Amino acid sequence: MSQLEIANAAAVDPVVAASPTPALQPPADELAARRRKFILATGALGLGAATAPLSRRTYAQGKAPMNVAFWMFENPQQRPWVHKRVKMYMEKNPNVKVDFQAFTLSDLGKKLSVGFATGTAPEGFITGDWLVPTWLSKGLLAPLDVVKLGYPTMKAYTDDYPPAFVEGAVIKGKAYAFPLWFYGFSNYINTRHFKEVGLDPIKDAPQTYEQLGEVAKRLVIKEGNKFVRQGFKFAMHSSTWTMIQFNPILAQCGGAYFDKAGKCTVNNAAGIKAMTIRTSIVKQHGAEDPADSIATNPLPGMDWLKERNSMFLSHPLPLAAIKSQNQKMFDERYFRAARAPGVEAGKGFTTSYGFNFVVSARAPKDKQEVLHDMYRFIMSDPADAWTDTAPFPLARKSGWSDIPEVKAFADIDEILDARDRGVFHPRTIVFSELADAMHKAVQKILLSNQDIKTALNEAAAEVDRASAAAKKA
Amino acid sequence: MINADLGSTVAKPSRAGRNPAAGRVRASRKWLPRIDFRRRIQLWGMALVLPAILFFMVFKFGPMAWAVGLSFTSYDMLSAPAYVGLENYEALLADTVFRESLVNTFVYIAGSTLLITVAGLALALAIATGVPGARHSMMAMFLTNLMPLIAVCLVWRFLLHPHGLVTQLLLPFGIDRVDWLTDSRIAMPMIILVTVWRFAPYFMIVFLAGLLAIPPDYYEAAEIDGANALRRFWLITIPLLAPTIFFVVVVSALLSARIFLMPYIITGGGPGNATRVLSMLIYETGFSYFKMGRAAAISVVLFGIMMVFTFVQMRISQRGEQVYTA
Repeated sequence: MSQLEIANAAAVDPVVAASPTPALQPPADELAARRRKFILATGALGLGAATAPLSRRTYAQGKAPMNVAFWMFENPQQRPWVHKRVKMYMEKNPNVKVDFQAFTLSDLGKKLSVGFATGTAPEGFITGDWLVPTWLSKGLLAPLDVVKLGYPTMKAYTDDYPPAFVEGAVIKGKAYAFPLWFYGFSNYINTRHFKEVGLDPIKDAPQTYEQLGEVAKRLVIKEGNKFVRQGFKFAMHSSTWTMIQFNPILAQCGGAYFDKAGKCTVNNAAGIKAMTIRTSIVKQHGAEDPADSIATNPLPGMDWLKERNSMFLSHPLPLAAIKSQNQKMFDERYFRAARAPGVEAGKGFTTSYGFNFVVSARAPKDKQEVLHDMYRFIMSDPADAWTDTAPFPLARKSGWSDIPEVKAFADIDEILDARDRGVFHPRTIVFSELADAMHKAVQKILLSNQDIKTALNEAAAEVDRASAAAKKA
Repeated sequence: MINADLGSTVAKPSRAGRNPAAGRVRASRKWLPRIDFRRRIQLWGMALVLPAILFFMVFKFGPMAWAVGLSFTSYDMLSAPAYVGLENYEALLADTVFRESLVNTFVYIAGSTLLITVAGLALALAIATGVPGARHSMMAMFLTNLMPLIAVCLVWRFLLHPHGLVTQLLLPFGIDRVDWLTDSRIAMPMIILVTVWRFAPYFMIVFLAGLLAIPPDYYEAAEIDGANALRRFWLITIPLLAPTIFFVVVVSALLSARIFLMPYIITGGGPGNATRVLSMLIYETGFSYFKMGRAAAISVVLFGIMMVFTFVQMRISQRGEQVYTA
C-alpha cells in the first residue's frame, strides 16, 4: 500500500485512520522538497526577526524598551491620580519606562525653561493653558495627532472642548495640547455666617460686586482695628491670583489688557472702573483686610476654610480639603458654591483655566507616539478621574458629566456653569510681566494708598516695555 | 647599603657615568631640555596648583565672563543668544523698576551695614566688658546664625504679621496694629532689622576677637591717667579696632549687596517695589520673564557695585598692613 493509498483510506475509513501507520520512508525527491521548505521557512523567520527592529516603532510598542521623561505640577489630588494612571500604563506596556517627576506649579515653568535650554527637558509634560502661547512662540510643542488621542477627526476633537481652549491650543488646524481639567471660580459661601447675620445663603447670595460689598460688610466682625472675621476675601499673595480675580472684572467692564496694536490698555476708563470695583471691598465697604494674607502667605482659601472670612472666590474646592481643615464645616455642610458676582446682576463670570498634556517638539518620533498612547490611556477612564480628583471638572464635554457620581456631587451644576461661562487668562507671551505689573498695581493701591490711575499707568508702562522687548527679541 | 641600592634605581645625571642603567635612561631623554632644580620645583608647584586654577577658570571666572558676554545679547534660554550690543543696558536706564531696585539695594546695603556693625560691636563690648549674663547668652545669640535662612524668613514673616507677636508685645503701649511688612514705608526697615538680627551675632565674634587682641596694659595706663570709660573707648578701643571695623563694614556690605532670600520670602519685593532689590530683580528677569541677557546686564551692574566695595576693602587692608609693618 502506497502512502497515498493509506491517506485516502484514512480519509474514508476511521478504522484505517486509527490503525498504526506502518513505518514508511518518503521518496528522496519529496524529502528534498520538505527540506527546502523548512530552510525557506527558517530563513523567512530569521529575516523577519532581523528586520523587526527596523520597522515602525508603533508596531513595536509592546516590545522595544523605551524611556520617556514626563513632568507635571504638584497637587494633592491631581498629581497622585496622573501618577497612578502612568503606573498603570507602564504595567500594560512593560517596555515603556516613564520617568515621572512633579514640581510646584510655579517651579514647573522655570524647570521646563531651564530643561529646554540645557537639553534636559522632558519629552512630555502638563502645562497651564495660559503658558501654551509661550511654548508655541518658541516652537517647543509638537503637533498632536488627534486620531491617536481617540478622536476620529479634528472637528470631533475641537467640538469636545470649550472654544477658548481650542482658540489657544489649535493653530492653523493643528492641535498642540490635550486638555485634562478645566475650571472656573465660584463664590464659596459660609452659610452659617449668613444665617448668623440674618441673611439667606441662597436668596442673599450677591449677584453684583456692589451687593458683594454690602453683604460682606454685614458679615464683618471687628475688634478695634483687627478683623476677627472678614466678609469677603480677595487673595493678595500672588500675581497669578491677582490675574484670576481681576481678569473677569476687566472683561465685564468692557476692558482688555491690550489693543489691536499690542499696546497695554489696562489704564483706560474700563480698566480704572474694573480696578475701582476690585478695590471697593476694602476702600468703599471696609469688609476685608488686604494686609493680612500678604504677610502670612496662606494657601488661597485657607482663611475661608478656617472661617476667618465668610465668602471667597475659589476654584472647585475638594471635600477632602474642607474636611482636613475644618471637620465641623465638613460634617455639618454649612457651605455652598454660588455663582460669582458680576458687574451686572446675573451676568457674573470668572476666569477659567486648565491644564493640558503636551509633547515636546524635540522628542523623537517614537517617543511622541508612546506619549500619544499614554495620554489616551490616562484619559480613557473619566469615572476614575472624577473619583480621585473631584470636584475638578474635566475639560471634555463628552463621556463623563452624566456619570451618576458626577451628577450627584453637590453644586456640580454651578461648577460646570462656572467652567463653561468663564473667560480665559490673556494669551500673551508677556503673561508673567503683565501678571506681576497688575499685582504690584493692586498692592500699591490697597497697601500704599496710591491713586488708581497712577498705579495703572505705571503697570501699563511696565507691560509696554516688556512687549517692546519681546517684539525685538 | 639600602641607600646605595635605592640610589641605583634613580636616574641622577651626575652619576650617569657610574650607573649604566641610568646612563641608558639619560641617553633616551637627550631631546629633553636640561632643567635646573629651582626651575623643576617651580614647575612642580605650577602643576600642583593647576587643577585649582582650572577649577576656578571653569566654574568661577568662566561663568562670570559668560555672564558679561550674555549681557550684550538677547537670550531667552530657548533660542540661541543674539548679539544686541548695549541694548540691555540702555533698557535698564529706562526701566523704573530697575531704578527703584537700585535705590532699594543701596538703602538696604547702607542700613544693614551700619546696623550690623553697631550691633555687632555693642554685643562684643557687652561680652568683653563682662555685662552680667552677656557671656552666657553669647551662644544663644550665635544660634541665629545656625538656623536655616529660609526658616528665619518664615518665622519673621509670621512674627511681623499685622496682628503677630511683635504687635502683641506692643499692645501694652497702646499700639494695636502695625503693617510691618505691607506698609511701603516700614517694610524695608523691617527687612533690614531681620538681617541685623541674623548676622550681627556672627560679626560679634569677629569684633570679640579684635577686642581680646587689644593689650589690657593700654586700658590700665589710661585708667591710671584718669581716663573714664567713654574716653578709653574712643581713644583706645576704636583706633585699635579700626581694621576690624573696616573689615566688618566691607564684608557686611558685600553680604548685603547679594541678599536675596529675605526680601524674596518675607515680602516678595512688595508692597509694589518697596523691598525689591537687584538680586531679586535678576532672578525675576531671568527665570520668570526668560530675559537672560537683561538679567545678566543687571548682574553686571551689581557686580560693579560689589567691586567698588572689594576695592575699598583691599585698599584698607593694604593700609592696615603698612601701619603694622611701619
